[in-house]
Amino acid sequence: MTFTSFPFLLFVAAVVLVYYLVPGRFQWCVLLLASLVFYWVNSHWLLLVLLAAAALTYGAGRAIYTVNDAGRRCLKEQGAALSREEKKLCKERTKKKAKRILLLGVLLDLGMLLFLKYHNFFAETSNSLLGRFGLTIPLHHLLLPLGISYYTLQAIAYMVDIYRGKYEPDRNFGKFLLFMSFFPQLIQGPIARHDQLARQLYAEHRFDYQRLCYGVQLMLWGWMKKLIIADRLAMPVDQIFNNSAQYSGLLVFFGAVCYGLQVYTDFSGGIDVARGFSQILGVELAENFRQPYFSRSIEEFWRRWHITLGAWLRDYVFYPLSLSKTFGNLGKKARKTFGTSFGKKLPAFLAMFIVYFLVGFWHGPSWKYIAFGVWNAVFIMSGILLKEFYEAARQKCGIREDAVTWRVFQMFRTFLICSMGRFFSRAGRLTTAVSMFASVFRNTRDLSFLLDGTLLTLGLDTANWFLLFIAVLVLFAVGLLHERGVRLRDAIAAQPLIFRWGIYCAAVLALLVFGMYGPAYSKTAFIYEQF
Amino acid sequence: MDKVLQILQEIRPDVDFLNEKKLIDGGVLDSFDIISIVGEFNDVFDIDIDVEDLEPYNFNSVEAMRELITKLQNED
Repeated sequence: MTFTSFPFLLFVAAVVLVYYLVPGRFQWCVLLLASLVFYWVNSHWLLLVLLAAAALTYGAGRAIYTVNDAGRRCLKEQGAALSREEKKLCKERTKKKAKRILLLGVLLDLGMLLFLKYHNFFAETSNSLLGRFGLTIPLHHLLLPLGISYYTLQAIAYMVDIYRGKYEPDRNFGKFLLFMSFFPQLIQGPIARHDQLARQLYAEHRFDYQRLCYGVQLMLWGWMKKLIIADRLAMPVDQIFNNSAQYSGLLVFFGAVCYGLQVYTDFSGGIDVARGFSQILGVELAENFRQPYFSRSIEEFWRRWHITLGAWLRDYVFYPLSLSKTFGNLGKKARKTFGTSFGKKLPAFLAMFIVYFLVGFWHGPSWKYIAFGVWNAVFIMSGILLKEFYEAARQKCGIREDAVTWRVFQMFRTFLICSMGRFFSRAGRLTTAVSMFASVFRNTRDLSFLLDGTLLTLGLDTANWFLLFIAVLVLFAVGLLHERGVRLRDAIAAQPLIFRWGIYCAAVLALLVFGMYGPAYSKTAFIYEQF
Repeated sequence: MDKVLQILQEIRPDVDFLNEKKLIDGGVLDSFDIISIVGEFNDVFDIDIDVEDLEPYNFNSVEAMRELITKLQNED
């Protein structure tokens, strides 16, 4: 039951109906039941893995809180009688105990993800290194539980936040299970934080007509992105990437650009459907995209793309590593050898490199994804290191920082770097990605593929290319309006009834007529669902 | 000039720290800036800003940062 299937539409309608018919205090039960049914329908017995992760995280959260609370109470009751050193010792002892439980919880949750998702990758890598010594690890065909890459990160954040004293753990396992399994965001995010999502899920919500309209609009927009643009782009992308040896020059680059657009419309489309449906239920999910292709640097791109993954890695990997004693000591040593300026930056650089390595690795168990992460890390770090040089060059050329041409140039440069990086995330293997990358620089002046009919051999006819072009223009226009602060749904809500319903009808009609489905097309799964 | 403000302006000379009250929530400072600021504060004020202190409300304005420094100095 994917987000673009008819059964999903019926399921969503039934959930909304029951959700607003039952008394408010039972609404969370409806969502929990719906989430478990959704999971069961899609993954059957793999539901047990989700239940195990939820039970483990719930138990660890409670245990961490109990230890911290006992320490706090002890300090409060005996605080007056203790010296400063004794208080410090007591705090450290409590922290150490809580940390042990946290580590165990994180290792077990992460262990499930690493074993199920990365076992074969580790086994193949190990076998290629140690196989000649007779040390081989057997490969297994393991099924990946739906959403494991997303709910594991949520679970880790929950335990760490409780350890840090940010909030109290859930007392009701059923409610916590809902936080872990809330079905609209389970498949491909956004990665939720407990303090932002849980309270909304457990609260009572009254039906609100405007919220329904806003939610439906966002869902329609998401479906349009997925069914009209992403699934249409899938055909030329598959053709170019699956037969890469046949193509070279700018046509290969065109394939990477198409894939960049496909992955954006596919992923953000799915997120729009999840956010829209949640809005109907009175639940606001976190924003996951902010027009990433308007970014002026790769660093900015990653602040606008998959925002919740970036924020998770910032809070639970980048900050702890940058501020760790080990990295701090490395920085101090580097100050003596390479100078103060570099020494100060080194801990953050190392942490950033690890973050982008993990961004790549999170996407999948393959070296090509690691290369994808490293590709981005290199450009981000060079951007920071060479910032002053770029600044001086810009000033020397007499270009104003806010000049439109300069901004457009920066966006175009970012777009080029992002597109070239797509070879690593889409090609079947790292070696294929590298050869496609290299082939871009052969026949670079040959633009004949645009006019000689080559485009029509990539799976789309003239009408479909034209439609795609118009749809991308609409996408760009909407992005531009958002960039300028226009709130489109507010603008639509302010229009007369006929206009509003005209928009709904046009959107539904566009989906029915231009959406990619039917016997001629194979159903395309959401790309990020597989991560 | 106040030391906190001086550190901030050295790291990000382009930001109006006196009037900006949403340095984190408004996306003015990024994570790299935060790490640079924390490193300088730790060195200059001899404090130990922990990862648990890296919450937006502690870094949204100069006043919030001063409060955090004072709190950590008193704890020590």
